[in-house]
Amino acid sequence: LLPAAIMVSKIMKAGRVVVVLSGRYAGRKAFIVKNYDKSGSDESSGKSGQDKRNYSHSLVVGVDRYPRKITRSMGKKRAAKKTKLKPFIKIMNHNHVLPTRYVVDTTFDSKVVNKEAFKDAAAKRKAMALVKSLEEKYKAGKNKWFFTKLRF
Amino acid sequence: MTAAKKASKKQQENINSRLALVMKSGKVVLGLRQTLKSLRQGKAKLVILASNTPALRKSTIEYYSMLSKSGVHHYGGNNIELGTACGRHFKICSMAVLDAGDSDIVRETAKA
Repeated sequence: LLPAAIMVSKIMKAGRVVVVLSGRYAGRKAFIVKNYDKSGSDESSGKSGQDKRNYSHSLVVGVDRYPRKITRSMGKKRAAKKTKLKPFIKIMNHNHVLPTRYVVDTTFDSKVVNKEAFKDAAAKRKAMALVKSLEEKYKAGKNKWFFTKLRF
Repeated sequence: MTAAKKASKKQQENINSRLALVMKSGKVVLGLRQTLKSLRQGKAKLVILASNTPALRKSTIEYYSMLSKSGVHHYGGNNIELGTACGRHFKICSMAVLDAGDSDIVRETAKA
C-alpha cells in the first residue's frame, strides 16, 4: 500500500505537449490529441478499422513551420505573412516523442481529426483544414512556449 | 570509518536488502526501454538509477518521473553493482519498481 504521497499518474494524455524526436518532424513541438496505449493481445474494440498498432502511440498535432518573429516596425501585410504557421498531424510512437510539462488546451472535432484521416488524402485535407485553427491560438497569444521554435 | 561513511554504508545495505526483497516478491522492470515505458504509462512507483548513468539519460528519466510523480532513487553504486544487487549477471543502469510486493522500498526512499 502506498502512502498518499506517491500517486503515480499517466503522462501521455490528451493535451500534453511533446517534442518529436525522430522522423521528418524531429525537433518540432506537438501536442497529443488522442492517446492509444498498447492494447492487450486480444482487444478488438476501440480501434475500429484496420489501424491497429502493436505499440503505444498518439495522434499528435504539431507545428511544422513556426511563425516568424514580427517587430513593431513591420507593416500589417508583412506581419500577417510572418505569423502564418503550418501545422502537421501525425500518429507517433511514444518512443519517438519526449513529453514536456506543458499542456495545450485545444480540441479538434474528433469526427474529422482522427486516425481515419490518414486513410485517404481527402480526409487528411479536411483534418488539416480544421487543424489550421491553431494559427488563431497563436495570434491570441496562448501557449507561447508551444509556438516558439525549439533551438538546438 | 568516519561516521558519515558508516551511515552511508548502512543505507546502502538497507537499499540492497530492500531491492532483493522487491526482486523476489514484487514486480520490477530492468533497463531503459522498459523503465521509460512504465513511466509513460504511470506504472512505475519508483525508479532507480545507477551512479554512472549518462547525464542526459539521467536527466530525461528524472524529467519523466517528475511528470508522472514517481520517485527517483540514485543508487549509490554503478551499473555493475546495481545489477549484482538485483541478483542479475548483467549491468543495470535504470530500473523501475512497478509493484513493491512485500518490500517497503517505495515508502522508505520517498521518506529520504
